[in-house]
Amino acid sequence: MNRRKMLSLLGISPALLVGAKVDARTLGGARGAGDASRGAAGDTAASQLKITGLNPKGTPPSIQLFPLAPRLSTLDGKTIYLVDTGFQGGDILLQQMQVWFQKNMPTVKTVYKRKAGVYFEDDPALWQEIKAHGNAAIMAIGH
Amino acid sequence: MVTEAFVQLATLNAAKRGMPHIRIAYTPHPVAGKTAAQLWQYVEGPDPTTGKPLMKEIVDDLTRPLTAEDTKTGRITPNTGPATYTDTADGLQELYLNNGMTDFLPIIVPTEERVAAMLKGTSHAPDELVGKMAGGAYEGWTYNVRQVAINAVMAGCRPEYLPTVLAIASTGTPALMSSTNSFAYCAVINGPIRDKLNMNYGIGAMGPFAQPNAAIGRAWTVLSKNLANAGIPGDTYLGSQGNNLNYNNLIIAENEQASPWTPLHVQKGFKAEENVVSLFRGLGMVPGQGAKGTEAPVPKHEECFSDLFSVFTGFFGALVVADPIIAKDLKSRGYETKEQLIEWLYKNTNQSVKDYKNRDFAIGFDYPRALKGQEPYATWYKMPDDAMIPRWPHVNDINIVVAGGQTNAFFQAGTLSYTVSASIDKWA
Repeated sequence: MNRRKMLSLLGISPALLVGAKVDARTLGGARGAGDASRGAAGDTAASQLKITGLNPKGTPPSIQLFPLAPRLSTLDGKTIYLVDTGFQGGDILLQQMQVWFQKNMPTVKTVYKRKAGVYFEDDPALWQEIKAHGNAAIMAIGH
Repeated sequence: MVTEAFVQLATLNAAKRGMPHIRIAYTPHPVAGKTAAQLWQYVEGPDPTTGKPLMKEIVDDLTRPLTAEDTKTGRITPNTGPATYTDTADGLQELYLNNGMTDFLPIIVPTEERVAAMLKGTSHAPDELVGKMAGGAYEGWTYNVRQVAINAVMAGCRPEYLPTVLAIASTGTPALMSSTNSFAYCAVINGPIRDKLNMNYGIGAMGPFAQPNAAIGRAWTVLSKNLANAGIPGDTYLGSQGNNLNYNNLIIAENEQASPWTPLHVQKGFKAEENVVSLFRGLGMVPGQGAKGTEAPVPKHEECFSDLFSVFTGFFGALVVADPIIAKDLKSRGYETKEQLIEWLYKNTNQSVKDYKNRDFAIGFDYPRALKGQEPYATWYKMPDDAMIPRWPHVNDINIVVAGGQTNAFFQAGTLSYTVSASIDKWA
């Protein structure tokens, strides 16, 4: 191994070792405007030079807007599904909501349902059931 | 109804799914771990984001007439900004940083010239579609070769690294996962390209000691942010504590030359001379605590692996990264193949049903599968609490890679699941 490479492995610039002045801009070779490696020693003219960088973003899909489902004029006599998506404690929270409806809006019928599968999995059978037998649904999401 | 920790997520998620005006009521956070009495207070109390009584707000949301905005239809196209940005070098650094396009470290500004040079690293056309990647639970964004090359420049890649970066991008796997858990990602690189790129698989194989290991890993994170909109806290990233490995991920070039076993890519069905990147996803890497049984003539490294596995959740697989010294020792003690060792580890790393059921991951993910009859979860949930079961559902949940410089008999093991392998040669 030559001496220069040996010194570089030691973290010592051969030039520095012999006491020579070194311009920070020359260390590691010139890399051009915009490099993270450019030091503060860059001259004013160079630092004011305008350059053009490209947008690194990917291409997002367009979004289809969906209208919200029609609202009910009243909840009296209506059936509301309370859907537990499986997050821990969601079942207990929704059971407390059932108690609230019984105490405060006794004409409302509530149906507690645990969605099938892991929280991010679809459950078409449940959605079908809610459409067929329910008037509204409340989903509980979050830890 | 959502817990208040996820206001931004719920709002943006609904908007990106085409329902920007969906009516959401918020409960305090968290719900998990609270008693019925405490949750009754949530129900009786206010929505913490509005101060209004929660149940009154819910009833109102269900009965208040819809507005014209609520019933709007049609398609909208998100804007990702102009094609180029012009400023001073320092100004551009600030611009990329302030617009969430970096990993918060200085980047190489992707000028047209640099991107053109980068594109010389592949024979593929700049406008060729590479893949689709989703940051969070949304429909994925698409990207072409040129868009990947821009990100590779930013991360400090050389043109010869581009095929590996393209192979990773082609899998559609973001390096930043939206989960509240703080995921880590890992890429194992096999084949002659390790030497062609001067990758480090010797001393400090997983450390910051070689440009391709560092820059390829960094590119994965940078491109995940820019090409898939991943890694936006509160929107596409919810990791509660974050993961330092996300800066440039675990990039492991297997030390095929020093390994006594079949390299990972051959185990996954590729030929030895092919260049392949294999991806893993999980929670991170834990260093082995030294060799168990060092007083014996030969340490029993397999028992050390199994001991370390005992703190793993079992939800993710296990990836053992063994120094060649350990691999050779194990082979000399009769483990002729990785598969033989994996079989031993699978059979000898057990847990009680009670411990298994107590795990958060089991409750959230495995129990719903058990209810649907999915095995082995359905059987496990029927077993008595004191019965012993394997830590993982399948033997192939364990993988082994050999890397390191043979300075000592050490290993590390990750809570990491194998997900996919991709050909690097395809993108050359």
